[in-house]
Amino acid sequence: MGVAAKPVEAAVYRSRRAGLVGLAYLAPALAFVLVFTVYPLGRMMWMSLHNWSLLTPPVYVGFDNYERVFRDRQFWVSFLFTLKYTALITPVLIVGGYLLALLTAHNSPLRKVTRTVVFVPVVIGLGVSSLLWYWLFSADFGLVNRALVDLGVVSGPVLWLGVDADTSNFAISASVVWKVIGFGMILFVGAIQAVPTEITEATLVDGAGYWQRVTRVILPLTLRTVLLVTLLSVIGSLLAFDQFYIMTAGQPQNETATSVFYVYLNSFPYLKLGYGAALSMVLAVTILAFTVVQLLLARRSEV
Amino acid sequence: MRTRLRWPALAAAAVLLVAGCGSEGDGSSDERNAPAATTGCASSGELTMWERSGGNKQMVDMLVEAWNAKNADCRIKLTYIPHTEMVGKIAQGIASGEVPDLMGMDLIYAPQFEKAQQLVDLTGRIKDWPELKTASKGHMTVATYEEKLYGVPLYADVSALFYNKDLFERAGLDPAKPPTSLPQLREYADKITALGGDVKGYYLPGNCAGCNIFTVGPLMWASGATIEAKDKGDEPLVGDGVKQVLQFTRDMVKAGNVHDGDRTENGETFHLQFGSGKVGMMGTGNFNITLAREQNPKMKFGVALLPGMTPGSSASFIGGDLVVVPRGSERVADAVNVMKFLLSDEVQVEVYAKALNLTTRSDMVDNRYFQAEPLVQDVAKALEVGRTPYTLTFFEQINSPQGPWLKMLQRAYYSDDPIDTIIADAKKAMKDIAGQS
Amino acid sequence: MRARRGYLVGAVCVAICAVMLMPLLMSVLASVKPTAEAAATPPTYLPHSVSLDSYQRLWSYQQGLPTYLWNSLGTALLTIALTLLLTVPAAYALARFPIPGKEVVFVVLLLALIVPYQAMLTPMFLMFADLGLTNSLFGLAILHTAIQLPFSLYILRNSFGAVPRELAEAAIVDGASSWQALVRIFLPSTVPAIVTVALFAFIMSWNEFLGALVMMSKGSKFTLPLILAAARTETSLGGTDWGMLQAGITISIVPCVLVYLLLQRYYVSGLMSGATK
Repeated sequence: MGVAAKPVEAAVYRSRRAGLVGLAYLAPALAFVLVFTVYPLGRMMWMSLHNWSLLTPPVYVGFDNYERVFRDRQFWVSFLFTLKYTALITPVLIVGGYLLALLTAHNSPLRKVTRTVVFVPVVIGLGVSSLLWYWLFSADFGLVNRALVDLGVVSGPVLWLGVDADTSNFAISASVVWKVIGFGMILFVGAIQAVPTEITEATLVDGAGYWQRVTRVILPLTLRTVLLVTLLSVIGSLLAFDQFYIMTAGQPQNETATSVFYVYLNSFPYLKLGYGAALSMVLAVTILAFTVVQLLLARRSEV
Repeated sequence: MRTRLRWPALAAAAVLLVAGCGSEGDGSSDERNAPAATTGCASSGELTMWERSGGNKQMVDMLVEAWNAKNADCRIKLTYIPHTEMVGKIAQGIASGEVPDLMGMDLIYAPQFEKAQQLVDLTGRIKDWPELKTASKGHMTVATYEEKLYGVPLYADVSALFYNKDLFERAGLDPAKPPTSLPQLREYADKITALGGDVKGYYLPGNCAGCNIFTVGPLMWASGATIEAKDKGDEPLVGDGVKQVLQFTRDMVKAGNVHDGDRTENGETFHLQFGSGKVGMMGTGNFNITLAREQNPKMKFGVALLPGMTPGSSASFIGGDLVVVPRGSERVADAVNVMKFLLSDEVQVEVYAKALNLTTRSDMVDNRYFQAEPLVQDVAKALEVGRTPYTLTFFEQINSPQGPWLKMLQRAYYSDDPIDTIIADAKKAMKDIAGQS
Repeated sequence: MRARRGYLVGAVCVAICAVMLMPLLMSVLASVKPTAEAAATPPTYLPHSVSLDSYQRLWSYQQGLPTYLWNSLGTALLTIALTLLLTVPAAYALARFPIPGKEVVFVVLLLALIVPYQAMLTPMFLMFADLGLTNSLFGLAILHTAIQLPFSLYILRNSFGAVPRELAEAAIVDGASSWQALVRIFLPSTVPAIVTVALFAFIMSWNEFLGALVMMSKGSKFTLPLILAAARTETSLGGTDWGMLQAGITISIVPCVLVYLLLQRYYVSGLMSGATK
């Protein structure tokens, strides 16, 4: 939305009255958000200052819960594991997605079909995908081990899920990459196709090779999208829950319990609602900080 | 904004305070005038019932069907709640006032809810029932809190040692003589594993706290130890039996007597293991009789009691579900009638026993269905040496996948940490948890 | 040289398609295995015989699959309707009108994307209980809409903002009110983004588990994801019914894939253009 627009704009969109009209259009959504997002958020902040187990009345404890968060070993275990997971999966998603986009950016029929197929896992729901891979990675009942054994790669079943944090991380990351890589790919395809053909033609004339063209021309011109996808990916990974809940249930010993999983544990089975709320707030602030940092970096790179 | 935030909390607090006052509660005010329980309807209209998933669903379905066949006027509408979410769901239900009329609940969680005054006190209505004298003592123990009664058994599971007679024969062991002590069990396991192929002598679930308390816990009890910390200040894991059994299991794993894949068992495929025919001996439950037969009709197997270190010692875990009434239920009389129905002679024989499930009354064990099934009779013997842990923090101490019980076992089975340290760490953690209750 | 490169690229494309589709295909195949084979260890690749056992069990599971399908579908449709009803005017407003403090509004909404909603579920449940919204598809749809709103608004706002000013001006010059401009000019131009939002709302609502678990305590109101969770602990002592699980997975996947394939034209272009700003 450019600033250097026509000096005179239709009164409908510029008058003082326009502000009120706009407000009227915004009102339903605004009201909805106030009631169903802002109020529960406020309620949650209030909860974080109390100890509440649902079966007994809430007890005010001030900032106790917050203090406990930082002293809580499990909080750090979860946080570090979440970071590990994010650090593992983000590059794979970005680089892989970008490569797939380069592969399918042309609008030939085969590539369009490939694009469609790669995107199919995106639409099926994370819970279902996690269940599917939970089956595939099952030590005794899953096809991955059966295939590995048949191919002679391993001699016995690999214990993918719930025994070792790193192996579980790998398996879960693989399943999530399968599921979401199409999303990044599509966004990248859009950005690559938006690069004006004159520019790419120009480099051809200069005799540039394919990869040179990619790194010197296409990549810089699509950087904004890359940063956007990275940002979305990082936020999504920091908030990861479903896949861990379904595939390892945090095992072994809560080592694969991501931060949000720990929030869930406190809010539901442990019945420590106040503490769960405090964890949520701390997480939200952390992610906000990450986001701000990323946006600042992005802005700098745009110059 | 402040008032708005406070109001629901105050309302919840008020509801709970009023509810907790005892004399105002649903149960006790009309206890003295409570009508005698029958096995029919006390009032008409559908009864809503919750039950956790992951239990003996077939049994519960059959019981509900039997009730509905007889009492069309007050049919039960059953909803299964995912068992990992049950505790949270009940708490939410009670806090919001949206409770079912009655519910089935994993019996080990009962004390926690009884203490928090979230179940209706039924003492006045049921304490004189003759059926309760012979009802499963494990169930009745946890259904009692401070001398008050809160429920009756819904169904009973009991753990025992299942052994594969075919593999016994092949290993040169007498199929009519299962092991009667842990050292003997080890001997037999070694012989069976030596058969090779994909066959192993024993089974240890590596990622399932509940499976382990069900099948390894009794090994410790049989060896004279105690496990859970009942309350604040209680000492958990007392007795040499703990160390001996942990050593026994560690040696079992090191000797290669269990499949590698056992380590990932989180309870979801536990029921399929014995029936695969690849395990010589395994601690499992009575439900595995029909399951194994379905899975592997040609396999010959037997049932024995879970042994301890010394020959002849044995123990078992009595598990299952209770039927209880949540605070706020408006059909207490009907719920009590359902309980009477479940304990009635006819239901015990024609529903429980006919399905080859354990009867929840020990005096009904001698029935024609069981007489035709020696395996069920064997398993029923386990009821006599069985017990149910009693603690207000069972989930956090024992059943939690992240709790100290599973951690202790995993360290014993798969690591080389000194056993004394492992036990000391677990003791401390369990004691801390009990102290917070 | 070119031709060889072309073959290579083609081969890679085909290989990728195979890898992406394989898991789904295997799941569908597993769902038509007879029960015993579905629970076999080690597992078989292809079914040795075809049976609809698992689907039959799924069909008659407790209240019956149709009930659960209807609940999931009803909730998803309500979520789409509610989301669009709220976000289309709101995006219009944020993109084209000089609302005081609109950037603040926008930032607040984006913040909602960041807070993990799991901890908010219990207070929301208590609030819904007071309002009588528990155990209702409408209540669950409200929850889903609340979760989906920030993302939908972001996409739509970008799309509304991308409509060329000249187009809008032309309508106004012709004497149209803001409403008429919305309906005649903006809506047709933002159809790809609207379809994208609708599709994402559908997928999210169709697959959402935790909120449905918290909001529904009557079996007759359960949604499909809750039944899938049940299939994991279906047999005695919490055992997995593998066949029924696969059947459930297959049934969950089919509508999503169908809707996607049908609306692909709008949706993909919606993503490619609308979100790159």
